[in-house]
Amino acid sequence: MALIPVQACVDGDFVLNMVPVFTEDTMEAVGKKIAHHSVNRRVAPQDKPLGVRFRGETVPADATVDSAGIVAMDVVYAFYEE
Amino acid sequence: MPRLARSEWYDLTRDMNWTLAYVTEEQAWPKDLSNGYGVSTEQWWTWDEPYKITYPEYVHNQAGKDASVYAINAVVNRSKLFEQLDPGWKSAIVAHYGAIAVPEYVAGIGEARMGRFGRAAAWRNMATYGTLDETRHGQIQSYFPYTLLDKEPRMDWAHKAFHTNEWGAIAARSLFDDMFTANDAVSTAIQLTFTFETGFTNLQFLGMAADAMGVGDLEFSALISSIQTDEARHAQQGEPTMKILVENGKADVAQKLIDHMFWRSWKVFSLLTGLSMDYYTPLEHRRHSFREFMDELINKQFLDQFRDLGLEKPWYWDDQYQAEQNWLHHAYHLGVWFWRPTVWWNPDAGVSPQERDWLEEKYPGWNDSFGKYWDVITKNVRADATENTLPETLPIVCNMCHIPVCTPAGYNAGFLNSPDPHILDYKGRRYTFCSEPCQWIFEQNPARFQGHESLVDRFLGGQIKPSLHPDFEGGTITTTHLAGVLDYMSVSMEEAGQDATDYAWAFEERDAAGIEAS
Repeated sequence: MALIPVQACVDGDFVLNMVPVFTEDTMEAVGKKIAHHSVNRRVAPQDKPLGVRFRGETVPADATVDSAGIVAMDVVYAFYEE
Repeated sequence: MPRLARSEWYDLTRDMNWTLAYVTEEQAWPKDLSNGYGVSTEQWWTWDEPYKITYPEYVHNQAGKDASVYAINAVVNRSKLFEQLDPGWKSAIVAHYGAIAVPEYVAGIGEARMGRFGRAAAWRNMATYGTLDETRHGQIQSYFPYTLLDKEPRMDWAHKAFHTNEWGAIAARSLFDDMFTANDAVSTAIQLTFTFETGFTNLQFLGMAADAMGVGDLEFSALISSIQTDEARHAQQGEPTMKILVENGKADVAQKLIDHMFWRSWKVFSLLTGLSMDYYTPLEHRRHSFREFMDELINKQFLDQFRDLGLEKPWYWDDQYQAEQNWLHHAYHLGVWFWRPTVWWNPDAGVSPQERDWLEEKYPGWNDSFGKYWDVITKNVRADATENTLPETLPIVCNMCHIPVCTPAGYNAGFLNSPDPHILDYKGRRYTFCSEPCQWIFEQNPARFQGHESLVDRFLGGQIKPSLHPDFEGGTITTTHLAGVLDYMSVSMEEAGQDATDYAWAFEERDAAGIEAS
């Protein structure tokens, strides 16, 4: 397990944050880590689950950073699922 | 003895060109210090400045300027004028001195290089005055804040900022090293004096002097006006240099130099002047928006100059530059305010209900795009949850302009097709750029830029002590979150920026809808 930085924000935020994630983190965990720096700071919280998008595709919630092919300084977005 | 009119001796005394006999052209004007771009020596000797001045005239004029502006400084400092200034305006001044004072002094290196390695004696003559100008600007903009130290201790950042790794200082150093400290004489004339000074600072200083007078800051107005008169003269080294390049079939060289430096200048200009004009200047004293200022004074004038010289507007002018003027500085302002402990001034949020109305009027759609971020922040302030208005990580920083990557803001506001940054994997390293032109500048000359590390690179490389999972105690503005980063930036607890009005803006009432009361 390694700690890597990704460039990330929740949809609707204004800037990309440096967010450290573990390679074994699931997308559920990644979404929370991304949200920590955006939601209720510049993005209004919503009572909906968070998804994670990478290279334009939604990544399954149980996928890990490693299995999704996310490497250091990749761009990852979290978003509120409809 | 009868005295000759200046016109009868001026050309003789300044045209001290000579034909080399003991050294080669390359030895006297090495390419790294003076890239002639293949134009012949004889052609360079036709260089002719549009504004003539002799050394006695120069000394006389400068002495008069100094006597006048230092007298104002002496008088104002015996008054309560500074204390009475608006907090936002004070922030603009503190930011200005830190960002500008030492770079002006360093610009003397670029001028001195042209004074030695300019390719015509007339040019070297003008650049010598430019060297003295920039030395004066460094001195005067260090001395004035020095006299304000007892009223605002952070005025010492006028001298300190450029010697630190504060993120804005890194961005400014990168820009100015590229523009003049590490540039050859010919490129400096195009990139510093034509692009940056003629294009931006000369007009910016005119605008700032008027704004300063408007808010009652007589001292700063006098200072800026005094500097501007020098800038207006030495900035004219660019035009004759451009003409010679264009007339000798090197328009493509001039075009590329301008395209490169106009974009880099725009980024820093947006950061400094955009915030000052649209957020820090008191509402009742705003004569125009930043966008209006750009349109009226910079865009039109600069385009006219391009066309007069037979050049084209930069390739990114319509699709990217014009679009960014609608959103970029709003994003930068939000970022500077949110990461306020990392700057040496107190950012003024500038989003009271009345100010939001003004922003919406000047930038239709502002409330729907940028207002929504401030809605969340306002709620947190009103709920006494200011810990949510402070950062716990770094923003991603562009590997060219070294300013945070705000592409999501441009996308959310409808001016970009994607929130994505521009990624380049080059020789085993990943570079992130905030825009296509920033990446383009890098790719024009990777060897020049590839070794530079952004603040994020330095953090990830272990140069900065991490503080990613702090035990935040919350409530007040402290530097707990990013202690290691702030230490690296030489920003102490006492210096770290705070909201300029202690959040007064968040509690102002409004009649119209816009901020949902908590």
